[in-house]
Amino acid sequence: MNALPRPSTIFLAAITTLVAVLLYSPLFVPIVSSFFTVSHGNVDWSSPTLSTYVALAENHDILAALRTTLIVGVCTVVLSVVSGTLLALYYHGRRSGRSILQFIIFLPFLMPPIISGLALLIFFREIHLERSLLTVVIGHTVFVLAIVYRTVLMRLQSMSRTLVEASYDLGATGWQTFWRIILPNLSSAMVGGTILAFALSFDETMITILVTGTQSTLPVRLWAMMRLGFSPDINALVALILMFTVLLCVLAARFLIPRQMATERT
Amino acid sequence: MSAAATTQPAERRLSLLVTVLAFALPVIFVLVPLAIFLVYSFFSVDQGTIVFAPTLGNYARFFTDPIFLPVFWNTIVLCVSVAVICILLAYPAAYFLTTLKGRWRYALLMLLLVPLLMSYVIKIYAIRSILGLNGFLNKALVAIGILHEPSTLFVFNMNAILLTLSLLLIPFAILPIFLSLERIPQTLLRASDDLGASGLQTFLRITLPLSLPGVASAASFVFVLAIGDFLTPQMVGGISGFTFGRILYSQFGTAYNWPFGAALSVALAIIVICAILIGERFGRNRGTSI
Repeated sequence: MNALPRPSTIFLAAITTLVAVLLYSPLFVPIVSSFFTVSHGNVDWSSPTLSTYVALAENHDILAALRTTLIVGVCTVVLSVVSGTLLALYYHGRRSGRSILQFIIFLPFLMPPIISGLALLIFFREIHLERSLLTVVIGHTVFVLAIVYRTVLMRLQSMSRTLVEASYDLGATGWQTFWRIILPNLSSAMVGGTILAFALSFDETMITILVTGTQSTLPVRLWAMMRLGFSPDINALVALILMFTVLLCVLAARFLIPRQMATERT
Repeated sequence: MSAAATTQPAERRLSLLVTVLAFALPVIFVLVPLAIFLVYSFFSVDQGTIVFAPTLGNYARFFTDPIFLPVFWNTIVLCVSVAVICILLAYPAAYFLTTLKGRWRYALLMLLLVPLLMSYVIKIYAIRSILGLNGFLNKALVAIGILHEPSTLFVFNMNAILLTLSLLLIPFAILPIFLSLERIPQTLLRASDDLGASGLQTFLRITLPLSLPGVASAASFVFVLAIGDFLTPQMVGGISGFTFGRILYSQFGTAYNWPFGAALSVALAIIVICAILIGERFGRNRGTSI
């Protein structure tokens, strides 16, 4: 691009700034509110306080919901990464029947969550499975599986076939090749898939609302509380979650983007 | 692995297990629920219990009842508008990103995508507090002098849904457009420059046409996500902002008419599939489609 800022560049930069402001404003408001008292949209700048964070530590409902979210997230990650990787390994290099089954895996991700959620709700009722954390984990796993599958499959496809052939030529068994060659090559994609799966599970609301029993995850809890308006301690929670999210993003970028950029260049 | 798999019994067993798993998982947990759901749409409800006899009554009701089609149509118009707004904002931003060099380009892209990972529910709540009657937007407009008193223009109505959805979905438009812009070979732009085209001409004749697949993908993404969303309309729509998703959900809650709700879901699914297919058809450009 030209060195001198031309009017069009300034215009583009202005729109980009506007977009950034628009995207970050809904994140900014709760964070500011977590350090200052806000009443009816007026921020009291004079007295920064950490009282909302103290209140958060005493809000047992929210902490219980947070714990449920983490439990669901970890179970979802384990199930989806194991099955997603197995599916990717299975479908990689297979021609017959792959596209149709792959389409089925992507369905819950492409369909509006309300449809996936309702379909699972009726399904669980038909097979007489009580709504519980188990049904939530199944719902989340079905939902995030496509992402893990795709991440691992893309890595597999960019992996050179010669590595596997060399391993066989050198006398390695199928297991040895798998543990020493394939798995180490997939590890960064699996870590990236883990992070994405966890982030998606952490935020999943619609399916969870429909298939959860008595225990609710954090977004569902917040959703229920929102009808009345949040208490200020939620702002503290938002600030903490945002920091956590940024950390996740940095990690995801670390594991996924350099690989993709490297494969794009070759 | 397949060569070795046929030689050892343990591996053959494993391979069989993997095959069974590979087929069972998607079929049991995705296809079967969706199939049951589809079948439900042909049942009916009589005094709170589901009658398991096939009927087309739900679909007939959807097409003849004066309530459902207008809401369905309005929701489609709303979601198309959301897609248009998102693209009008995302295109210049994505274009700007591609003019940046190296590290900056991806750092800024990340910056614009991070809000995606932030809790959806919390964002809706925050936007609601921005748009509200006493919200930051009204305060700002009054302070600048555009409004004399807080306006109810974007409080609990269709406008609020439109603005909130657009705000939430912009990143989904930025990514595909950025990817399609980034894939345009620099040599084409230089050739155009060498042949004496102005910056505007190069943009209109080279960049814009080549980036349209990305725009199509972006539009289809945003539309599908917007029309499938129920949380936003429920939270910021108030009484007047009634969308198809809310009607659908009410069939499972208050109305307790699961078969009719299933039929409405089928209508929603058909629109979503059409949008995805259109997006695929016009967005065929490596890396921009899912």
